[in-house]
Amino acid sequence: MKIITITINGKEIKLEKAVTVLEAARSAGIKIPTLCYHEQLERYGGCRLCLVEVEKMPRLQTACTLMVTDGMVVRTETEQIADVRRGILEFLLINHPLDCPYCDKAGECDLQDLVERYGPAKGRFKEKKRKVKESLADSAIVRNMERCIMCTRCVRMCEGKQGASAIAVIDRGGHSHIEPFSGGKFDCEYCGNCVSVCPVGAIMSRLHRHSYRPWQVKEQHETVCPYCGVGCTVVAQVRDDVIMRVIPKLGSAVNNGMLCSRGRFGYEFVGSKDRLTVPLIRKNGMLTEATWEEAITLVAKKLSDIKVTFSSQAIAGISSLRCTNEDNYVFQKFMRAAVGTNNIDTTARTGFAGAQGFIENIFGQGATANIISGLANSDTVLVIGGDPTTVNPILGLQIRACARRNGNVLTIGNVEGLRNFNPSKLLPKLQTEVTLLEGIVTALREKKGLPGSNAALEAKIKDITISADEVTRKTGVAETEFLTFVDLLADAATFSLVIGKDIVQSSGGSYKLLLLSAINYLANGRIYLLSERANEQGALDMGCAPDILPGYRPVAYPEFRKKCENVWHTELSDKPGLNLFEMVDAAEQGRLKAVYVMGENPLCNIPDSGRVETAFKKLDFLVVQDIFLTETAKLANVVLPALSWAEKDGTFTNMERRIQRVRKAVHREGMDDWKIIAEISKNMGYNMDYKGAEDVFHEAAKVSPLLRGLTYEDIENGDNIYPYKGEPLRDAMEEIQADRSARSVKSGTLYLKIERPLFHSGTMSTKAPALINIYPEAVARIGAGTAQALSLTEGDVVRVKTKTGSLALFVAIEKNDDNLSVKISNNFEGKSAFRLTDCNLDPVTKAPCLDGIEITIEKVTA
Amino acid sequence: MFNETSIKEIEEIRTKYPNSRAALLPVLYVAQREFGWLSPEAYEAVADLLNVPKATARGVGTFYAMYKQKPMGRHLIQLCTNVSCMILGAEKLVDFLKSKYGIEPGGMSPDGRFSLVIMECIGACGTAPAMLVNDNFYENLDKKNLEEILGKYQ
Ligand code: SF4
Ligand code: SF4
Ligand code: SF4
Ligand code: FES
Ligand code: FES
Repeated sequence: MKIITITINGKEIKLEKAVTVLEAARSAGIKIPTLCYHEQLERYGGCRLCLVEVEKMPRLQTACTLMVTDGMVVRTETEQIADVRRGILEFLLINHPLDCPYCDKAGECDLQDLVERYGPAKGRFKEKKRKVKESLADSAIVRNMERCIMCTRCVRMCEGKQGASAIAVIDRGGHSHIEPFSGGKFDCEYCGNCVSVCPVGAIMSRLHRHSYRPWQVKEQHETVCPYCGVGCTVVAQVRDDVIMRVIPKLGSAVNNGMLCSRGRFGYEFVGSKDRLTVPLIRKNGMLTEATWEEAITLVAKKLSDIKVTFSSQAIAGISSLRCTNEDNYVFQKFMRAAVGTNNIDTTARTGFAGAQGFIENIFGQGATANIISGLANSDTVLVIGGDPTTVNPILGLQIRACARRNGNVLTIGNVEGLRNFNPSKLLPKLQTEVTLLEGIVTALREKKGLPGSNAALEAKIKDITISADEVTRKTGVAETEFLTFVDLLADAATFSLVIGKDIVQSSGGSYKLLLLSAINYLANGRIYLLSERANEQGALDMGCAPDILPGYRPVAYPEFRKKCENVWHTELSDKPGLNLFEMVDAAEQGRLKAVYVMGENPLCNIPDSGRVETAFKKLDFLVVQDIFLTETAKLANVVLPALSWAEKDGTFTNMERRIQRVRKAVHREGMDDWKIIAEISKNMGYNMDYKGAEDVFHEAAKVSPLLRGLTYEDIENGDNIYPYKGEPLRDAMEEIQADRSARSVKSGTLYLKIERPLFHSGTMSTKAPALINIYPEAVARIGAGTAQALSLTEGDVVRVKTKTGSLALFVAIEKNDDNLSVKISNNFEGKSAFRLTDCNLDPVTKAPCLDGIEITIEKVTA
Repeated sequence: MFNETSIKEIEEIRTKYPNSRAALLPVLYVAQREFGWLSPEAYEAVADLLNVPKATARGVGTFYAMYKQKPMGRHLIQLCTNVSCMILGAEKLVDFLKSKYGIEPGGMSPDGRFSLVIMECIGACGTAPAMLVNDNFYENLDKKNLEEILGKYQ
């Protein structure tokens, strides 16, 4: 390799590859001022501030676009350059309102800093400045076009990185300004990544408007986003124990300077007035304030009594996909060691757990733990079962990046968030996906042959024969489209498969997963299983499931039980406990007497939630430990206030199985979830003495083969990803079971579809004002065609009904909808889509089948 | 939104360009012809048809003066007021258009009949003042022949 040598300001710099002069200078610690350059964005060369003198070149050159060549001699600070910079800055200020004292950006504004350093003290322009009204149309973002310097960083971000293309330069010359399509409201993905890159105060977050100056930020804490399974690194900037803002970090492994709306604008729930502050105990039917001592003693006593009167098996625990690994570890240990039951589960049971178990059973443990950024480098990505750009937005960006790099993005079903990227898509008729997938498996097998490395899987797929002709007849997919699709899959060299919950939560889900696994196997790819909660993977890995111990090891295996027994000094049952759904059944039948819920809202998050409510009302004793008085908490006998994500230390494990540190950012009176549990445990006679979260992790690392003795120090940088060092653990391959029964559907009928919105995640996001302002209330989303047929308009109140339940909702109309479904989310308490669904389970994955649920919709006249 | 003929025309245009973004300019022209100006709905129709983001379509459209960003009268008067035309009385013609038809420069007559755009030299300095009405060229203008000419455009 040839070394390139260049000289900048007399300093010799040796480079291994050709970079820009700017990058070369930066690598040598030489600062060149810039405005339009941003390391995340395509080069632009628009602002001219980075002009430098290059020997043998007639004019000044823009350092941000000029590539180095061997022997180049560059000067970055000369009289001539200073003159030019002064001139450019004078021009930039012609229309600038000079309202720095009033502007939130002051203190971290590139323009202010540059003018201070290079600028003219006074401008010579006498003309009137252009006036543009500041846009306050949005709750999250303020747009002030008087301050804009037209660097187009925001537009390049929105288009080239975020892939939303929601804003553009409007008009030209001195009238140019940045606008979303509407001219007012952004109506975009509200990722705020444009806010991150705007070098001046032209596009800013409204959340902390006029509330502080950058230099008043006293602390900042690097932690992990509390919302989804992507696990983005976020930096919480804090003053006086209040989060002033949350920003991303350039160079962080998962999200490298990008965030989605939830991660950036969803933090205000932490300081919500609705937070629980003191324990509540039900007295005379009313939840009444109590002391910690009263509450803890009561819970310990009640649970102990039930244990004696009935049995340990009459008690169950539901733990949290939002709590840390440490919380979850202690919770399951409490249930197993202090209470003495394996009755512990989480809402991961509604899809992720079963799907992951199913896939790992075929390919071995860790099969779904793949690096998210790898998606961008795949040459082919197949998306099925949902929209990754809303469920796991930052993962979605990687798929968009793949498309941008001319990778083949394929979808089965409509994926709205990828529409701008023209994916190849197949749209099979309702309930014909199985035929389509079987057709793909057949074609791939015929084209590529069976690899011969997975006998169990091959046994299941070797006899599947569905011809292209049959696919077309049954699914309505045109034969040519089908064949092109299959060709793309067969030609894939680096294939990725992204599986969303809609597939997992459908009748015949396990069989569809089998077929998808087969496609992945034949195309030699990797699987990404979308995960809606920050620590869904972690809760499972910590053993918060009725049949597994920490490390995802089956309770039935004596050697793993032994390992835990030794550390926990107690005996463990080898019988799997009740899973989430069995808990509801048992409560309904009166077999279950007490449930302890930590950081979960079962009344909203378990399908057929009406039945869950009835069942929970039958319990003798319900404890809910949460940060808000949720629907479920309102039914509780004891409510325990917990600390939120921002107030505690610990770790999350993301969907890549990357273990990352959650760091305490603000102080609040109260106890960590694990600490509360440990106190109750002590009161029940089972001591748990941990000095802190690190201590808990330490013990978990001893027990769990997945943590392999890791320490906080090891995971400091967030680069610890399963399988850490060496080969993934492989489970003994059992015979693969799958269920292919599909619910029947009729044409001309509407079906319920679970909406998984970008702006909400569980019910927690509804306590974040910025997100609530963007997506304020539960709606029934219907296609324009359906709306027309039923004479409904946006904002009408309708009653939607299924066999299971009914809800009154506002109508929202979607232009690009398929007109076959009514989409409802389960983010709003009392209006959860799960009030409308039954809870029939796939016999293999045990995930609820939420497809084929007929729904009627009727206008409510006032 | 678009009528059949326009859709055909757009599909035809689309085949001449490597990608749909490149086809934006001619397709925006079709939209302008069909809807009279580039309303938000027109931009959206173009964006949908070409599957380009609507903000991008609007960004492109607003860059060029030839795309109209507000409703236009049935006939477009493009009158020059640059040096030669000005010296020979173009400004009086502007006043006349205002008093007689109620059209402001850049505006539209209340009856929707005319729109007026002021031009910076249309290359007819020798026969100034000059104007275009729609695609037709007129020179040596005064109030009298201006009124006559406009009478032909109802
Ligand atoms: S918030 Fe995100 S989607 Fe919206 S304009 Fe900014 S970058 Fe684009
Ligand atoms: S709004 Fe900010 S980022 Fe966008 S062009 Fe203006 S100054 Fe640059
Ligand atoms: S993608 Fe997920 S983890 Fe990342 S910021 Fe958004 S919600 Fe948070
Ligand atoms: S930073 Fe180089 S031209 Fe703007
Ligand atoms: S000045 Fe009017 S045509 Fe040239």
